[in-house]
Amino acid sequence: MTAAARVSAAREMRPFQAEPPAMPVGTPGKAGYVYLGFETDDDGRSILRELDRRAPLIVQQALYFDECMPQMPCVYILSSGGPNVDGDRYEQHFTLRRGACAHISTGAATKLAEMRYNHSCMAQSIVLDEGAYLEFLPEPTIPCRHTRFICDTDICIDPSATLFYSEIYMSGRKYYRGGERFAYDIMSVTTRARRLDGERLFREKFVVEPYDVSPVCLGVMADYDVVANVVVLTPPQCADRIYELTDAFIDSRHRTAAGITRLPADCGLLYKVLSDESAPVKRLVREFCATVRRCVKGYDMPQEFPWR
Amino acid sequence: MTDAVKLMRILALSDSAFPVGAFAFSAGLESAVEHRIVTDAASLEAYARQILRQAAFTDGIAALQAYRSAAEEDYDGICEADAQLLLCKMNAESRLMTLRMGRKLAELSERILDDSTAARLAADIRAGATPGTYPVAQAVVASACEIPEKWLFASLGYGAINMVLGAALRCLRISHYDTQRIMFRLGDQVETIYDRAREMTFDDMSAFVPQIDIVASLHEKGTKRMFMN
Repeated sequence: MTAAARVSAAREMRPFQAEPPAMPVGTPGKAGYVYLGFETDDDGRSILRELDRRAPLIVQQALYFDECMPQMPCVYILSSGGPNVDGDRYEQHFTLRRGACAHISTGAATKLAEMRYNHSCMAQSIVLDEGAYLEFLPEPTIPCRHTRFICDTDICIDPSATLFYSEIYMSGRKYYRGGERFAYDIMSVTTRARRLDGERLFREKFVVEPYDVSPVCLGVMADYDVVANVVVLTPPQCADRIYELTDAFIDSRHRTAAGITRLPADCGLLYKVLSDESAPVKRLVREFCATVRRCVKGYDMPQEFPWR
Repeated sequence: MTDAVKLMRILALSDSAFPVGAFAFSAGLESAVEHRIVTDAASLEAYARQILRQAAFTDGIAALQAYRSAAEEDYDGICEADAQLLLCKMNAESRLMTLRMGRKLAELSERILDDSTAARLAADIRAGATPGTYPVAQAVVASACEIPEKWLFASLGYGAINMVLGAALRCLRISHYDTQRIMFRLGDQVETIYDRAREMTFDDMSAFVPQIDIVASLHEKGTKRMFMN
């Protein structure tokens, strides 16, 4: 059984398993796959040593455009198929060998199309060896009316490595026609981490089913439309510095709020942001990443490209 | 054990005066009031509703699994429920709360019950062999007292709501009439929530309360505090 098939079998996705009549599950072009393996070269520079991918997922050439960390390969993952559609099964696997570093993002927001029979699935695994450093900062995910989506991320990390893993979820296409806010059927997101020897670190899962229980209520999304969930796994001394330097706040005037806490097993931090729009959330997540980079690697983070 | 005795036992376990230190925690309400997210009876009810849901689909599932393991004398199963629950407690102060109350209950159960499983759990918590979360300790005590699992689940829900309402009486301008009205209204949902949670396993434990998470973080980083979370 593939990783995606295992994730798709989750209890909450049982009502969404009918075969899409147009293109069944597993049809070429609907089973995307990416494997990225990073290592350090003889001169200490990190390189994308292994690359395997299957349509519709595309990996752009690794570029070294980060002026503050020119030794770090930056890789964008794109989908040639446009949005994720009914019955899509994607897998992404990232491995960073000892001392390697990398920055991975997506070329544009991940759009999740309307689904009528089945669901869309993303199974991810991330392996970070001793001293490795990965920034995973994809663009936001935008669910559409009647989207069904499940994402499962399995992290295996050495205690000396650092992972910055961010996800940004929008309420929907809020400016499309009359506006779609939380009109999707289900969004299930699980992130879990363990050490290389199998010791479990944490497991966070959220399942949002707006037609069952609306997230537009106090305590959940309140009146906000965008949520960011950022996991930082890093050694305790780095986590302490990052925690001290990161503000928790509710800014009523700018309709933005953020909070930070320590993860179980002293393995790192969890940062959450809420806002009305994606721009302030992306800015705060990037600022948080800059703090992490400064505390862990001692480098600044360049300004984001103006077109991003 | 007769039904009357079982009823007495679950009432004692659920009582806010039961000495496990519940009064010291507010489940984030203190910060929610300070930042004017909870301001009146209506917003307090909305807040307590989310605390109930969060507790049901994390603590509740772990407690039911631990209870069933205890009934089958599967001690490893109890420890697995304990470990799984702590893995999904994402806020530092919520871990502090569940571990302090769990330890207190385990210590108390050693003194008031003649049950080998409860005694073993208390010893293992002391030795650091298992974390000792409160819902798992409750499940072990409930099993020892032959309390039905649905009662255990209801007691857990009652405890979650009561912690918020008890704290509200101390940090919000609210009356006892309001808090009891909220308790009765939210109590109506427990049967439905139990019917969903009883079918679930560790893989299904989930929570989605980002605004409460942020409020909890403000408490964690704040300096003004009457409660421990």
